Order: sequence, then C-alpha cells, then structure tokens
Amino acid sequence: MISPEGSKSLPDRESRFDESLFSLQAMPKLPRGMLKETRKAVALAKKFNDEVVRPHALEIDRQTHADPEYLPWDLVKKANEWGFYTMFIPKLFGGQGFNMPASAYVVEELSSACVGIANVVFVHYLGVAGILASWNVSLANKIFREVVRGQKTGKPCIISLALTEPGAGTDVEENELIDRARLNCHAEKVKGGYIVNGSKIFISMGHVSEWCCLIAYSDLKKASENTVTFAVRTGTKGFTFGKHEDKMGQRACPASELIFEDCFIPDEYVLRDSRIREGFGTRPIADLIEQYIHFVVSVTRPAVGAFGTGVARGAYETALKFAGETEVDGKLLINHEWAQAMLAEMYKNVVIGRLSYTEANYANGLPGGIYNILQRKPVYYYQKYAPKFIFNYLISPLLDFEITQRIFRRLFVDSQSMEVQQRCSGWASLAKIVGTDMGVKNSQMAVELMGQAGLRHERGAEKFLRDSKLLQIYEGTNQLNRINLFNNLIGSSIPQARSFDE
Amino acid sequence: MLTTIKSELKPFEDLAHNFAVRELTANRKVNDSYPFGPFFDPVVARAYEAGLLGITVPEECSGAGQGIGALCVILDRISAVDASLSGIIFTNVLAQEIMLAAGGKDTLKDIMGQATDARSTLIAYPAFCNPGETQTRLDAVRTGGTYSLSGTIEYVVLGGMAGHALVPARIKGQDGYTFFLIDQGGKGLTKSEPIFSLGLHACPGVDLTLAGVEGRPVGKEGDGARCFDHASDRMHAAVAAIQCGIMKGAFQEALSYSQERFQGGREIINWSALRMLLGDMAVQAGIADMVVSGAAMAVDQQDPQWGLSARAAALHLSELACKLTTDGIQILGGNGYMKDYGQEKRFRDAKQVQALLGLFPLRKLGLVSAMAKGQ
Ligand SMILES: Cc1cc2nc3c(=O)[nH]c(=O)nc-3n(C[C@H](O)[C@H](O)[C@H](O)COP(=O)(O)OP(=O)(O)OC[C@H]3O[C@@H](n4cnc5c(N)ncnc54)[C@H](O)[C@@H]3O)c2cc1C
Repeated sequence: MISPEGSKSLPDRESRFDESLFSLQAMPKLPRGMLKETRKAVALAKKFNDEVVRPHALEIDRQTHADPEYLPWDLVKKANEWGFYTMFIPKLFGGQGFNMPASAYVVEELSSACVGIANVVFVHYLGVAGILASWNVSLANKIFREVVRGQKTGKPCIISLALTEPGAGTDVEENELIDRARLNCHAEKVKGGYIVNGSKIFISMGHVSEWCCLIAYSDLKKASENTVTFAVRTGTKGFTFGKHEDKMGQRACPASELIFEDCFIPDEYVLRDSRIREGFGTRPIADLIEQYIHFVVSVTRPAVGAFGTGVARGAYETALKFAGETEVDGKLLINHEWAQAMLAEMYKNVVIGRLSYTEANYANGLPGGIYNILQRKPVYYYQKYAPKFIFNYLISPLLDFEITQRIFRRLFVDSQSMEVQQRCSGWASLAKIVGTDMGVKNSQMAVELMGQAGLRHERGAEKFLRDSKLLQIYEGTNQLNRINLFNNLIGSSIPQARSFDE
Repeated sequence: MLTTIKSELKPFEDLAHNFAVRELTANRKVNDSYPFGPFFDPVVARAYEAGLLGITVPEECSGAGQGIGALCVILDRISAVDASLSGIIFTNVLAQEIMLAAGGKDTLKDIMGQATDARSTLIAYPAFCNPGETQTRLDAVRTGGTYSLSGTIEYVVLGGMAGHALVPARIKGQDGYTFFLIDQGGKGLTKSEPIFSLGLHACPGVDLTLAGVEGRPVGKEGDGARCFDHASDRMHAAVAAIQCGIMKGAFQEALSYSQERFQGGREIINWSALRMLLGDMAVQAGIADMVVSGAAMAVDQQDPQWGLSARAAALHLSELACKLTTDGIQILGGNGYMKDYGQEKRFRDAKQVQALLGLFPLRKLGLVSAMAKGQ
C-alpha cells in the first residue's frame, strides 16, 4: 500500500524537472558543430536513398520472396562503400566520428525508404553498442579498426549482436527475469579461453556479419551474475549458422540462427566476464550486468523508435503522393476533408515519433549518459579537428593499457548514477514504444487510404505495413518496454513498487 | 453462434470445418507462397466438388440455394485456417450476386449448368473496388447485337484462372455503368502476371487489358451501380464472417501458444499484462461471432435496414480484426512474425479483407449517407 504521504508526493516525483525536458537542459551545452554535422549525415542518407535504396527496395523484397535464402551481400557492399559502417564509430577507434545522436536522424531517413535496408546498415551499430558498452576498449579498438579497414579494402566487416535464445527472448532483455529463463548458451571457462555450447536465434544480419558480439552465460541457472560477452569471428571452429528465418517483412535483412558446438573462444576475445570485476567499482555484479544491458538499450531503443518514425514517414509520404494524384468520387482524394484529416493525423504521428527519440537521445547526452563525454565541447572539437595520426599512432596504442581501460570504466561505468541509468533506459523505452506504434499505425492508415492500390506490392504501402510490425517486437517487445518504462520512470521512486513479481 | 440459433446451418459449418482441417491446414505456408510458389489448384477443385462454389446460387441454377447465413458459417470456418480460399469463394459469390441482382439468372444458369470443373464455374470480379467510386476505365461500344469492350481494368480477382469475368464498363454516351460478362478465353484479352499482394496470396488477381473483347451485358444498361449496391449490402455480411474467422483463428493460436511458451519461469499466459492482451482478443472474437450472426440473420430475414446492419458489421469487424491480428503476432513474440506460424498471414489477410468492396473510409461515409437518406 502507498501511504497517504507517499501518494501525496507522487505527482511531485513524476514531474521532476531533471526527468524530462532533456533538450532544454542539454542544448545550451552542445557544440554548434553537431547541427552542421547532422545535416551532412542526413544529406548522405538522402542521397543513398535516392541512388541505392529507392531504386532497389521493392525489387529486393520481391526477390526475397522468390528466394527466401537471399542474403543482402550487394547492399552490404554498397553501404560499406558509402561509409555507413564507420560513420558513427568514434575517431578514437579509427572511425569517422559523426556525433552519435545524428545516427537516429539517418536511421529515420533510411527507414522512410526501406526499413529492411535501414537495418542492413544499422543493425551493425547494435553490435557496435554491445562491444562499446563492455568498455573493453582494447578489443573494441581492434575490431572497430577492422571495420575501418573493411571500408578501405572493399571487404565489409560488420558486427551483429546475439542475445536472444530459442527459449529466452524477453527473459534475456531483463536481468530480473534471467535467472528464471530457459537458457542454453553456456560458456565454460577452460585454460586459455572458454568453450561455448548452445544456440541463438533471430540474430539480425548474422549470416553476413564478420563479427558477432555474443552474450553467453557461465552459469545457466544464475545468469544474472554470470554473464560473459565475447567477440566471435564468423568461421571460428564450432560456430555455424542454422536457419535463415522466413519473415513477414524487413526481408532484405536476414535473421539467423547461430549454433555453437564446443566452440573455443580464446581469452583475448572476451569483451567482459562479469565475474571478473577489477576496475568496475563497487556496484554488485548483477547491477553491473544490468547497467551493461541498459547502456546498450539506451542507445538502441531510441534508434528503433527512429526506425518506426521513418516507417511512419514513408507510409505518410506514400499516402500523400497517392492522395495528390488519385481521383475518388469525382475529385482528388487530397481534397476530401476526411482524407485531409487522416493525412494530418499521419503527419502528427511522424512528428511525435521524432520528438520522442530526439528527447531520449538528449537524455543520453546529459552527464552520466553514454553520449555525454563525446559531446563536451573540448572533446567534441578535439575529436573533430585533431589530425588522424594522433588517434591512430599516439592514442590508439594507449588503449591496450590496463590503466586506460580503468579510466574508461571510471568515466562511464562508475560515474553513472542509478538515476541517470533509469532515466536513459526509461526514455529509451518510451521512444521505442512511441516510434514503433506510430510506424504500424501510419502503415495501416496508408493502406486504408489507398484502397486496392495499397494492397499491391509495387505501390509500396503494403511493404511498409509488413516491415513495421517487427519493430514492436525486437529490442524487447513493446510490452516489455512498457514494464521497463514503469520500472525506471515510475516505480523507481515508489518503494512499494515491484515488477515481475505477481 | 449462428448455427446454435439456426441449427439447419450446422451441416455447412461441419462441411467447411472438415474441409479446412483436411485440405488447408497442412499446406497453409506453401499455398501462401503464390505467386512465387505453386497455386493451390487441387484445393479449389475439391472446393468445387464439395459444392462450396455455388452456395447462394438458386437451386434452379444448379446451386445449393442457401442464404447469406450458410455462406457466413462456411467463410468463418475456412478463414480461421486460411482466408485465401474464402477470398476465392467470396469473389465468386459476389459476381454471382451481382448477376442475380441484375436479373441475370439465366446467364448464371448457363454458366453453372455447363461448368465441368472449378475453373469453368468461377467468375472473376474486381472485388476490391466499388466501380462507382473509382473511374471505370472500360468502354463498351455497341456493334450490332453485341458489345465490344476496350480499356484496362485493375485487380480482377481470379482473373487469371476463372472461366468468365464480370466487369463494369461505361457505354459510350450514357451515364453510369453496366456490368458485362466476358469469356476469359476470348479474343483481345490480355492478362498481367498475378498481382503480388499484401494478403490472400492464394486468391490472386490480375489486371486485364481488353481490346475489342466481346461482352454480354448483365442487367439493364446503366443499372450497374444499383446491382452492385444490392449485392454489396449482402456481401458485407460475408466480409464480416471472413474477419470473424480470421479473428478466431488468431485468438486460438495465441491462446494455445501462450499456454506453452515459458518466459520468466512460467507460461506467458500467467503474466497479467499478456493475459490482458488475450482478454482483449477474447472480447473482440466473442463480439465478432455475435455481430456476424446478427448481420447474417438481418440479411436473410430482410429486416428493415438489413443493408445497414451488414455494412456496420463488416466495417466494425474489419477494424477489430486488424487490431486483433496485430496483437495475435505480438503474443507469439518473434515467432509471430515468422511464416512458420499462422499469425503473420492473418495480420496481412485481415488488412486485405478490409479493402474488399471499396475504399474503407468511403464505405463508412456511405453508411451515414444511407442513414441520412433514411434508407
Ligand atoms: C526479425 C527479428 C530480428 C531480431 N534481431 C535480433 C538480434 O539481432 N539480436 C538479438 O539478440 N535478438 C534479436 N531479436 C530477438 C528479439 O529481441 C526478441 O524476439 C524479443 O525480445 C522477444 O522475444 P521472443 O521472441 O522470445 O518472445 P517471448 O519473450 O517469448 O514473448 C512472447 C510474448 O510474451 C510476452 N511476455 C514475455 N514475458 C513477459 C512478461 N514477463 N510479462 C508480460 N509479457 C511477457 C511478450 O511481450 C510477448 O508478447 C530479433 C527478433 C526478430 C523477430
């Protein structure tokens, strides 16, 4: 029961200034260069849409229906040539170092043409986030530089992230549930490394990735404290691909089964073993694992919100074009008042989706958030204008020192308060739910508005609808995200509140 | 529910249920892969043999002489498994109903009498539009005792397979439009590749291009809109039945999955947020059953305003079905999005079925116009 005093103070708690209006708090401190840079990134995405995505999206989708085993090698090659796989890798690791929140606008832009192809480009950053949030900067540096080399040599090197298992989807997204999960991906410590056995499913871009950020467990019954994160290269002995899923939509982007059979992974490819806690401050192990998950999803869920917003926009633009050129009942559809109201609603949905993911990323940019340090003016401008050789030849070797690793952990892990973690994660869920629901909603409305034309593949609207539905499922179902929002933004200030405890 | 009130419909329900289980369940995924996989010809042939293609056709025209109620119980049962066959039955009945409304009983009698197989029985029809709303792009010119049709008509459902097609065309110099029956093997007719559509993959449509194709008028010249409206009123009940079947199928699959799938150490049905979603689905599917019964009875008994009841039923259930099938996928999580399960197909089919008989928002507006006119 909430006591009378407790219930009285609830409204005060919820409207706390620091837990909302992140843009207002963040903006005065942001480097001005971010705006220009974001424009540049979005302009590139627009160009990519015009030259690569739009001319091929429907044809590729068709091809995947004719051949469900289709893999998007050509698209990966193109995205690699255009520099998308290094665009948001910090310069410290050899990447182009575009500011990270700009990625969300790029995601929206690409998704407005084809969210399947947007995933071919951006699932890679799910892997990047998984690696980065381990704060094993030495291994991150090695892998990210390989991605950069891949761009130079024309041999794409992209990264997937493997968390979901056949028996555990929602459970592995939430550390509170994981000890009750039916896990199978076991990592046994042996001399010089680990032996991994088990499988992962639904892993986006699995078949076409060079590296996989794999999350496994050294104790399947007590995973909340026994999580091991690896970087595994495709082709490693004992690591193979199983099923390539036959999905309703986003068919350009494969979802793969990953099978590990006595797969030996040497110690040097361990991103983090939760039992080894040197340099990770004083938080309990389970909290550190939870923090790792929240770091990743704080970045990736707003991005999924941006995917949804992009779909919402694409569906809206398709419907608008149709309404402007089709006569119904003797006059252009766009001149029917009911159609104008529908289009206005769709427009509104796009804007709401965009505002939500933007705000969530501002939260990530405030002190303690994952984007904060790179957005501090001195760091930002140094990163932007310092010559490359300083990063490549002076700073890069330092990343291998234990002391450097400790500094990173201190900066990112220890200095993040629980409040900041909760704020970022809660808002990430909010942005994810809003954007993806808007994506589905607008796609449905576009099909309705277009009638029989909306049903035809070549008109594009039906593909938006098929593609959009996935967004409500991955990166945690929208239901799980609602509970996460409750936990982090509502329940966190109510001592009596418990989740997953009914 | 309808079969509890009208027990004489029970045999139709059993027939459709057994047919669906026997013929449709096992191959749902393969059948749905059309136009990239094989078409389910043998299933349609067996539907013909089972009498499912002439349910509402009068007995004197070699049909089963049943009302909309029988059609609804059949479509409901079949759609719970695979709505594509319902789409085929629906399109054929819609064409037959328009012909009957136009007084074309004799023509229908000829077709049914002479038919030797499914293809020769089936009549293709552009089932996703109301010809009055969109511009009809077929022109009919009278030449002697016959009519010659030219132009293009989009999305003629069954156009690639049926023996005949019923198409709306404008007779030069006249208002309104008229329906014409064309022989699908006739000269001057070009068919596109099957349309790759959102849902109902195994109920394919094609675009037809006609260059001087001979057409037999069905009904009075310029009387097309009246015939369409009459048939459309009746067939809205059938749309409701298809959606109802899809909803029941989606609910059943979600219910059983949620009792088998474990997350958080228990069957997911035991998480109250998920159970609430199932609760919403149960309410919607339960309502759907009542709505279809009410609409079908209103049509068959010719209640005052039966047409409005049927339209309201279809519009409401189409919205509910689109919502319910979205949740149907959601309950299965990632699996719901995969073709190995039935939910993603139901999601697509429900949205496709919503578009039957014309633009969805306009049908809603039309309902109010009809009420305002006191029809
Ligand atoms: C195409 C695709 C691509 C994907 N890509 C990746 C990837 O690259 N990497 C990766 O690791 N994963 C990936 N995923 C996995 C995705 O994140 C999971 O599908 C998602 O987390 C849901 O898990 P699940 O499918 O096992 O559903 P389940 O967890 O089985 O959920 C089934 C239903 O039960 C509900 N439920 C479960 N637990 C609870 C609870 N405690 N309370 C209330 N409701 C509950 C869910 O909300 C859902 O409605 C992908 C999935 C798909 C479909």
